Amino acid sequence: MVKFMLNGQEVVSKSQANQRLLDVLRHEFRITGVKCGCKEGECGACSVILDGKLVNSCLVALGSIEGSTVTTIEGYRETERYAALDKAYASVSAVQCGFCIPGMILASECILAKNPNPTEAEIRAGISGNLCRCTGYNAIVKAISIAAEEGKGLW
Amino acid sequence: MVNGYHPELLQEALAIRAQEAVTPYAGGTDLMIKPDEKARYLFLNKVSELKKITEDADYIRLGAACTFTDIQESELAPEILKEAVSQIAAPAIRNLGTVGGNICNGSPKADSALIFWATDSKLRLVNSRGERVIPMSEFYLGRNETSLQADELLAEILMPKTGLSHYYYKKVGVRNALAISRVSFAGILGAESGRIVNCQTAFGAVSEVVIRRPDLDAMLSGKTIEEAKASKEDYLRAYDQVILPIKGRISAEYRKAVCMNLLRDFLDSNGI
Amino acid sequence: MEAISKPVKKKDHDSKLSGRALYVDDHVLEGMLLGRLLHSAKAKARITRIILPELPEGYYVVDKNDVPGINQVHIVQDDTPIYVEDTVEYVGDPILMVVGPELKEVERILNEIVVVYEELVPVLDMLKSDTVFFNYNYAKGDIRKALKEADRVFIETFQTGYQEQAYLETQGMLAYPHAGRMTVRGSLQCPYYVHGAVAKALGYEEKDVQIIQDVTGGGFGGKEAFPSILACQTAVVAKKANKPVKVIFERREDMEFTSKRHPSICTYKVAVKDGEITGMDIDVLFNSGAYTTLSPVVLQRGMICANGVYRLDNLRVVGRAVKTNTVPCGAHRGFGAPQTFFAVEMMMNHLAKEMGLDSLELKQKYMVKQGDSTSTGGKYHFHVPLPEMIEQIEELTNYREKRRQYRNQTGRYRKGIGMSRFFHGCGFTGSGERDIIKAVVRIRKNPDDTVEILASNSDIGQGLKTTFSKIVADTLGISLDRVLIENPDTDRVPDSGPTVASRSLMTVGGLLKRAADRLKQEWQAGEEQVIEEHFVEPDFVIPFSIVEFKGDAYPTYSWSVNAIEVEVDTLTATTKILGAWGTFDVGVPVDMNIILGQMEGGFLQGIGYASMEEMNCNEQGMIRNNSFSDYIIPTALDVPNLVTKIINNPYTHGPYGAKGAGELPLVGAAPAYVEAMENALGVNLNKAPFTPEDTMRVLLGGLN
Repeated sequence: MVKFMLNGQEVVSKSQANQRLLDVLRHEFRITGVKCGCKEGECGACSVILDGKLVNSCLVALGSIEGSTVTTIEGYRETERYAALDKAYASVSAVQCGFCIPGMILASECILAKNPNPTEAEIRAGISGNLCRCTGYNAIVKAISIAAEEGKGLW
Repeated sequence: MVNGYHPELLQEALAIRAQEAVTPYAGGTDLMIKPDEKARYLFLNKVSELKKITEDADYIRLGAACTFTDIQESELAPEILKEAVSQIAAPAIRNLGTVGGNICNGSPKADSALIFWATDSKLRLVNSRGERVIPMSEFYLGRNETSLQADELLAEILMPKTGLSHYYYKKVGVRNALAISRVSFAGILGAESGRIVNCQTAFGAVSEVVIRRPDLDAMLSGKTIEEAKASKEDYLRAYDQVILPIKGRISAEYRKAVCMNLLRDFLDSNGI
Repeated sequence: MEAISKPVKKKDHDSKLSGRALYVDDHVLEGMLLGRLLHSAKAKARITRIILPELPEGYYVVDKNDVPGINQVHIVQDDTPIYVEDTVEYVGDPILMVVGPELKEVERILNEIVVVYEELVPVLDMLKSDTVFFNYNYAKGDIRKALKEADRVFIETFQTGYQEQAYLETQGMLAYPHAGRMTVRGSLQCPYYVHGAVAKALGYEEKDVQIIQDVTGGGFGGKEAFPSILACQTAVVAKKANKPVKVIFERREDMEFTSKRHPSICTYKVAVKDGEITGMDIDVLFNSGAYTTLSPVVLQRGMICANGVYRLDNLRVVGRAVKTNTVPCGAHRGFGAPQTFFAVEMMMNHLAKEMGLDSLELKQKYMVKQGDSTSTGGKYHFHVPLPEMIEQIEELTNYREKRRQYRNQTGRYRKGIGMSRFFHGCGFTGSGERDIIKAVVRIRKNPDDTVEILASNSDIGQGLKTTFSKIVADTLGISLDRVLIENPDTDRVPDSGPTVASRSLMTVGGLLKRAADRLKQEWQAGEEQVIEEHFVEPDFVIPFSIVEFKGDAYPTYSWSVNAIEVEVDTLTATTKILGAWGTFDVGVPVDMNIILGQMEGGFLQGIGYASMEEMNCNEQGMIRNNSFSDYIIPTALDVPNLVTKIINNPYTHGPYGAKGAGELPLVGAAPAYVEAMENALGVNLNKAPFTPEDTMRVLLGGLN
């Protein structure tokens, strides 16, 4: 039984301590916004924010997050910061197939939380662990820049 | 059956380690790629004693459960280590992966381990009965094989405080992020009044274990830059004999050429 | 910018950004079973025995004996088995599926199954193949005379490797039986392809099969034909178990065992007389893998593009797709064109060197113009914008000056710049659209005056939901949110053809425009109305004979010029991309942001194809690059901002002037990159991908 905060609510997981957090979220908690792209920490589709930091949930054993705080897109989408990213991503049509997107949004949050005025190089480094096959990254990088610019005071 | 332990204190962790067959889990970024169904993990990621970065008279002391991000954000961690660690994988991996895990998985490709080798760092291994401090060379026995005993945990890495500022580091991966090293090289050269006081070099990712040959570096230590220049070709030739890349999917010829190029460039950049 | 090009918020932006969009693996049905395939571990063998462990209650094993209909997946031909018969033809050939309620238990059972193989000798090298699946040839003019009368004949061979689509969402299907029917939903590009295949597999009438496209996380051709196979496998299991069955491929499974881009070996024999290129004799060889699947069509397109954008009066192209005991290759964005455009562009580069010219100088002399005849004796009916596109790229990059500057470098860092020019034939090759697809669309106006689009084309990220809606909304003069479009469900939509060949916007979008035009004229407020439109081939098209390879292979072409600038670090043999520029003619963009996104994404895939996406089989026929750590695709740190320009060149027969867009951007990146590498290294190169190891071989003095 592992207790942790999930999207602002305290939950208790009945899954085994050695289960992947990705599987626990998707199967036990029916959180479908966390995607499985590779199960090896190589693509970032399963990104969540764990204790304020971006991680690949496929590499996190449930037992390691006792008492921790987990945020997925389901929790993040209720925030004002999400609204700013939403607007920015929409303005450049950065969403294509969408599979990388929940992870990208959380990565975007982590970039801006650390650095509200990132350079293009810093943005690219911040999303370097999130693979996208559709966009060539241009629009996503632009969207994060726009959110930084338009979202003054949010980060 | 308990399949995970969450000690809060190192003593607790060591007691469990002594009694149960557990797998130490620091960041999980290696373990979770192929998780063992039957594994009982000893979660160390919240043991605060293992997450400190401190300094004493001689060493910078890195807790084994410090993540790569912790290293990047620390004021005490040496630049050479920060540079190496900042090129590991991607932010999400760096937020979880630890220096301890990087060392204990025994891989010659471990990017932070290369730095610990090159800097002649020491490892403080502890068990419930005591501790021992050993150099990297005693810890690595072969490919993915370490001398970590069944009741031991790596507690700290002790990095020398001085002599690390003038360094050369290059990671050659297959792309600019999320890249496993094909060749990695760290070189440190300290000179005072035109005389080399320390020369430390190491190559990662090319052999079963990191290649660290203090006996070869001794060919240059103590010499003046001019004298070192005279020994340069001998030094390179000697190294050429010992860099024998293992056959793999990346051609040995490629790796060898890169190693020798980097070594020569390291010397060139130091005026040798 | 045309009015239609003005970007709008994409129809599926909200659901995807918020994480609410449901992909196939997000669906959980009551009583659902999970399945895993057992793939052949041998490249060629006879199966003598399969030893199963004891199966717990609720767990099943399904194989060829359980196929109620015919154990074949109809693709173009029918040689792909649903589950193998007696022999396995490649590592990965699907032998059986294990299903049950718990995935871990399914995997445990899978690992305990023993397959006894009688190993046979596989053929892994396409040059050693003894089975030619397809053999075509065509000619124009008199190549024999040209070769005979030539002053010099240049012969060179070029190679390209596999490419893996690497969509972020792996293959997945969910099949569920109900009331004598079978519904299969999943990640797919072509609902009606799947529909026909599943009906055949189950022995059902077409009306008893329903296929639904789920939100799909990328396709790039990899979900054109392969889903038909997985859908048949899953449907057969669902029928046997009489329960819903979901199968989601693991990433390693997907990388090793699903369809890839055909590796190619192309040999060019070029006749030069009095400083003029008088003819080309081209041999195109594609590695089809173990089954035919889409090889005939990929080969056809590759052959048609074999002389690139160059006007040649004497041409012969011979093409073969041969069998090897490796993964069957199929559709991948570009579909045969990237292979031959790479070869012809590099050949022309090398000819230029021989003739003492810079490659651009030589190529400009032979570039086709409007009115010229195509490789197959058709016509370039419309303006060919290559000259102005080249000048546009020249202005952006200073290409000519840099080419000169970068010759003969000796330092540690060596720069290079390369350029390519190419086209993509829009739509299905030849008369496939008219004779095979026969697309039908419908739009239905509801009593509340909202309008629903009914077509079988699938939005796989390329924005079809938005662009289709824009066409209809703009034509009718209603707002975008009054136009409805769902993911296609064969119960509800007619067959408007597959989402392939860069046909959706141009052809199906064109049909939707016609339907909307008609609805506008016939509009009756408050009434339900259904308008149907059928494909009609444009009247100017010179009919194409696939037997003779003569006529207009495509009604029109989309054009592009790419330039890539690199810097090679000779110490590590790694290459940094300093700049990547592409200018693209897709007629008129139906949405500028969507088109830019497509161009940028395809361009990066092409750059990956050129530089880092290496994939090989070992001596046992196994693909070793079977994960994202071994099959290397670009991250955000591997390229700078891709500079993309769109030119306006309206196509008279496309909706709002639009032409095919989806595949164009991938086609020409490889020759631009490799020409840049040639400029940096000072040698001729002839392979893609051109990797750091290849670079090191050149630097160490040998040629690859």
